Amino acid sequence: MRLSLLLWGLYQWLWIASKTNKTFKKFISKAKVRLMIKTEDGKYARLFVFDKGKVSTETGPDHQFDAALVWKDSKTAVSVMLKKSQEAIFYAAAEGKLKIEGMNVYALWFDDAMNHLI
Amino acid sequence: MLKKISGGHLAAKYMKEVEQLGIVFTLSGQHIENLLDGFTEYNIRTIDVRHEQAAAMMAHAWSVYNNVPGVCLVTAGPGFTNSLTGIANAYLENVPLVVLCGRHPLRDDLKGALQEMNQIDMVKPITKWNATCYDIRRIPEYLSIAFRQATMGRPGPVFLELLPDILFAEVEQNLVDMPLRRKHKTSTQPETSELEEAARIINSAKKPLFLGGSGVGISDCGEALGKFVEKTGVPFVLINYGRGTLPDNHSLSLADGGFTGIMAGLPMTDVIIAAGVRFNWVLQSGQLFPNAKVIRIDIDPHEVDRNRPADIGLVGDMKDVLQRLLPQAEERDHGEWINTFRNAYTAFMTTELEKRKTPSDPIHPSRLVDQIMAVFGEDAYYVVDGGDTGYYGLSGFASVHRAGVLIPSGGLLGCLGTGIPFAMTAKLTHPDKPVIVLNGDGSFGFNGMEFDTAVRHNIPIICVINNDCAWGMIKHSQEISLGDDRCTCAELGLRHYEKMVEGLGGYGELVTKDEEIIPALKRAMDSGKPACINVLTDPKVTSPATILFYQGFAEL
Repeated sequence: MRLSLLLWGLYQWLWIASKTNKTFKKFISKAKVRLMIKTEDGKYARLFVFDKGKVSTETGPDHQFDAALVWKDSKTAVSVMLKKSQEAIFYAAAEGKLKIEGMNVYALWFDDAMNHLI
Repeated sequence: MLKKISGGHLAAKYMKEVEQLGIVFTLSGQHIENLLDGFTEYNIRTIDVRHEQAAAMMAHAWSVYNNVPGVCLVTAGPGFTNSLTGIANAYLENVPLVVLCGRHPLRDDLKGALQEMNQIDMVKPITKWNATCYDIRRIPEYLSIAFRQATMGRPGPVFLELLPDILFAEVEQNLVDMPLRRKHKTSTQPETSELEEAARIINSAKKPLFLGGSGVGISDCGEALGKFVEKTGVPFVLINYGRGTLPDNHSLSLADGGFTGIMAGLPMTDVIIAAGVRFNWVLQSGQLFPNAKVIRIDIDPHEVDRNRPADIGLVGDMKDVLQRLLPQAEERDHGEWINTFRNAYTAFMTTELEKRKTPSDPIHPSRLVDQIMAVFGEDAYYVVDGGDTGYYGLSGFASVHRAGVLIPSGGLLGCLGTGIPFAMTAKLTHPDKPVIVLNGDGSFGFNGMEFDTAVRHNIPIICVINNDCAWGMIKHSQEISLGDDRCTCAELGLRHYEKMVEGLGGYGELVTKDEEIIPALKRAMDSGKPACINVLTDPKVTSPATILFYQGFAEL
């Protein structure tokens, strides 16, 4: 799977959940978070914007963010993200395949948000 | 002719001769005059402050830095009420603190005496033990009980009210029994089977972590802990008053990950040895690591299953438990796990680490901490006081000394204002080492006047103010929750705190540029005076601690 497709699919999932998933709606209801997921070369990049219950998105790497998950390459990003596991993220970071720019606490928040969907 | 002694002198005599007390933190008052005179008579040093909460906080810090109960003496009425914040803080931190307090005379009870009030009922909920002594001959006995209550089992603050009717009265010395200092030791020990099961879990761990809190520091178990972690290969993080029981630069220490390291690493562990640490809100009530096996070591059996059931609970003094566990623990090398842990939190801290090494205008708080470390290094004592400021200090400062990095404002009471009192006590305890307190500009306001105490008593601490001209944590939370245009009671503006310190007889400088930080710190040190370096930092920077703080309330 291509990373761009995965990120688009993720946005769709989040958008639908923001309308239909009660616990997710409550979780994001007061949050203002701009989370970027991108590759190091900037070739793949999508910004997820959470604004007090609303979810929107932008493509491209040149947006302001609170936190960014920066993947070494798209293949690694896809394989790790599809595992949907905090442990996989942790080990990817430990192995130098992922770094978090900005405030890592927002990445943890995003992980918590995703846990409401899984 | 039989020799007589006053009640105040008798109290001082007992504390000097039996408890070997060398220092008391106080603020004078008429009700306690005879006891103050007793301190002079028996050569007990008195540090008199400008507000009683600082006396309680300094005595609290004395307990932490010296592992003996700190003593503060306050006068009746407002002296008493002013001390309450400091007592409450010691209570929530389980610190042995002996508070001696004056009171209106018994003779004038119910007559509308000066400062007549029911102090005991006010202090009850925030003390481990409290009493009023009515008999001059029993002063040593009451003091003996107070010191034992403060230190035995789970420590805590105690409060002893001494009436002027007995402090100013005299008694024949031969009528007074002077209790001996209690020398025998009793201890609670875990069952052998529990120790064996704990050792089995530790020996089979693949991704263990030793998380030590204040109980580790109060037990002063550095040697035992060192042997334990070095044999088992278990990496450790020491927080609260446990910090520095082993040096931050120990090869198994993960202190440099700060809060980020703890948050990122804890969910990945398979075994957590939680020693003398509470699973409170900071550790998300123990919910951060649902899959790990948890071994709790605590002096208080009630703590073992609190918020999160332990797989094994070992009740006892930390040093004793670790010594008993050691023979059953097997030698292990968890080097690979430690590298993984370190690499992961380093990747999570990418921006923070970059900010430390990059000059910026305005100055980033992480950079300020880095520059302070560049001047004073690990052979120094650091105290941090603030909200956002606490986060940067926790991850950026390191010391080789026990209690070398303390963030007393990060305790359960969230008690801002503790920084300057703690720093003064650190300097009194370690006069030959640099002592630096990193204050937020908000938190500086609570006890900034104590620079007068530092000047009068020649306690040359260096206070660096991380000045964002606001109550930063509150302001940034309000920006998120209410909006930028509705922040209320959050701005402080630019204030020249350095000039205030100069006015009190200390040294002061204002710093606005990155390149000015290090020279200013060196000049502060060279001045030999209590110093304040007021550093203007980026008001837009929000710490991760603020986000967690905000989220905690956003979920309500």
